[in-house]
Amino acid sequence: MIRALGGLALTGCRRARPVYRDGRIVVTFWYAFGDVVRKVLLELVARYNAAQDRVWIDAVHQGDYFEALAKLRSALAAGTAPTMSHVVCEVLPYLARAGVLEPLDAYDGASEIPFVPALDQRGAFAGASAEPRVGVPFNRSTPIAFLNGELLAEARVGAPRTWDELVDVAHRLTKPSPGGDVRWGFGVPLSWWYWAAMVGQGGGRLVESDGRVSLGDAAGEEAIRFWQRLVQTERVMRPPPGRDYQAWQSQSETFLRGGVAMMWSTTAYVRYLEDAARFPVVAAPLPRRLRASVPTGGTMFVLMRAAPAEEKGAAWDFVRWMCRDEQTIDWSTRTGYLPVTRTAVERLEARGWYRAHPNDRVAYDQLADVDPWPWAPDLFRVERDIVEPRLEDAVLGGGDAHALMDEARDEARRPA
Amino acid sequence: MTPRARWHPWAMLAPSLVLLVVFFIVPIGVAAYESFFSWDLLTPPRYVGGANYRALFAHGEVLHVALRTLGYSAIVVAGTLSLGLALALLVDRPGAFMAIVRASVFSAYVVSWVAVALLWMWMLDGESGVVGRWIRVLRGPTAPASSVLGDPRWALVALAIVGVWKLAGYAMIIFLAELQSIPRSLLEAAALDGASPWSRFRHVTMPLLMPTATFVATTTLVTSFQAFDVVRIMTQGGPARATELFVYAIYEQIFLDLSVGRASALTMLFFGMLLALAAVQLRVWRRAAGTAR
Repeated sequence: MIRALGGLALTGCRRARPVYRDGRIVVTFWYAFGDVVRKVLLELVARYNAAQDRVWIDAVHQGDYFEALAKLRSALAAGTAPTMSHVVCEVLPYLARAGVLEPLDAYDGASEIPFVPALDQRGAFAGASAEPRVGVPFNRSTPIAFLNGELLAEARVGAPRTWDELVDVAHRLTKPSPGGDVRWGFGVPLSWWYWAAMVGQGGGRLVESDGRVSLGDAAGEEAIRFWQRLVQTERVMRPPPGRDYQAWQSQSETFLRGGVAMMWSTTAYVRYLEDAARFPVVAAPLPRRLRASVPTGGTMFVLMRAAPAEEKGAAWDFVRWMCRDEQTIDWSTRTGYLPVTRTAVERLEARGWYRAHPNDRVAYDQLADVDPWPWAPDLFRVERDIVEPRLEDAVLGGGDAHALMDEARDEARRPA
Repeated sequence: MTPRARWHPWAMLAPSLVLLVVFFIVPIGVAAYESFFSWDLLTPPRYVGGANYRALFAHGEVLHVALRTLGYSAIVVAGTLSLGLALALLVDRPGAFMAIVRASVFSAYVVSWVAVALLWMWMLDGESGVVGRWIRVLRGPTAPASSVLGDPRWALVALAIVGVWKLAGYAMIIFLAELQSIPRSLLEAAALDGASPWSRFRHVTMPLLMPTATFVATTTLVTSFQAFDVVRIMTQGGPARATELFVYAIYEQIFLDLSVGRASALTMLFFGMLLALAAVQLRVWRRAAGTAR
């Protein structure tokens, strides 16, 4: 039976016939955004649907990134997958190896889109230059620091540039406030993404050039110890409640309330925070330890291999439309995600956007410090199943960083 | 009554048997089989023997999940029984006001787990929650997390209390029905014999409530073992896996960690644990029935 199910999964239950509505081919697009980003995306989809009469994009919300991915995998196995979706970068090598994503190199104009190299598939992954293109950069981001400008001025401190400065600034910004509350100097969700940034800042790599999963070796452990120190010893970092995007959302809300003076979050929140805050929001690059380093985040558009050819062609038309400068600029400036094409960046420069919005400039400049992800099909499993639970074990449960990372490395080397 | 043909009883049983086989026996068999494979739904399955089981036992993961689930269930069952009984005794009085109280307490049971979880998340928030702020003051400024849901030592207890809050109304109604069916003459006779209120409760009411208590304990135990929504919404198994109960761990393995084989192995172990518990329960019941005879 399992063989039969496996075979079924591999053939992907191809839908032979495309779906038409009012003479237009319907492209089902599963997306994973809420709030402002969702609103902007739906406006763009509506604009595309109104701009032509051949394709109808049916955008369907599927929860957050991880919920959407869980549904996508189940739908792929059941043969009910949408025409297209967008997936977190770390899962791209796994889905590519599974053969469920449509190779896009041969599609009209695929090689002509002038993507920002660090955000494109081949630049975002090390060792992916020979891999076929299966993802198109869509909402791309890097981790970034956000600071409460009012509190910075009050404490007469600037954005920290090193880990040592981070401890010092966080101390100066941590204050008991009326009613027994604590205003935390620093906050960051205990997430693989920020830990990966710290591994790079400590000079480590997740996967070594010989393919060994090292999880940064000493740098990975040092990153955990630094968090332990901030939470348990220095008591300047807000212990983050919840997991995944619940923790991110909770942290943003606390930052906006003034409960955290400085936080690491995503460039994607630039606009939301600037619009919602009652104080000046100052963005800054993440601090260095041995060097500056950030991973890229966000998602890439993917087309499902099993979808009918006509639907894939129509979906590609939408993807190309989204990558045009007008849409790229609109998407980026209204959300905070990075503009994914070089021409869009040049137009924004020429328009004086970055002079008027220095926080956006910080996010873009940080691309110079990007460390690409390894093109490893197990990357997502290592992230979700192996590293993330141990980060919480270490920081909130007080586990030993070396023992936990040893355990993690051991598990990462074992086949799934 | 003797059936006219030998196949008649089987024909009567057939619908139930088909459902049992299709929805219970076959899935358990498939899960048992899949537990020996490494499979992610998308790539071909690969036979790995007992590797999934070994991986689950390697770092004591399965033991921790089992202990957490048992701990959660113990708090939920004990809390629901005690609170349900206390509430039933309290509201076992005539009058419109008591009717309103009964309806109010029971209403929590009718509300969906999702709504309950969202409501309690909000109330337990350490910075803006009505309950959370008080708890934080009680725990003092040195507490490691601003909210109990963010504290590995207390998150599971917090979830169990939410479970008790939700299920207490159900237990109250069942106990109330049984309380009202106890003949007044028994209590009056005991009172005439000079039994104090506590003695009447201890020696008359409680023994008569025991079968009901067993029923409530069993159904609450089943519900507590199925806990998923409340974990998914309030903590996603965190912090530091402190609230990763069996059903949620299975969901996480298959849907978030892409491991059908590992999830199937976990399912089989959960099944084994439930079988063991059912056997213990059956033994206790039989012994109790034997004593009663």
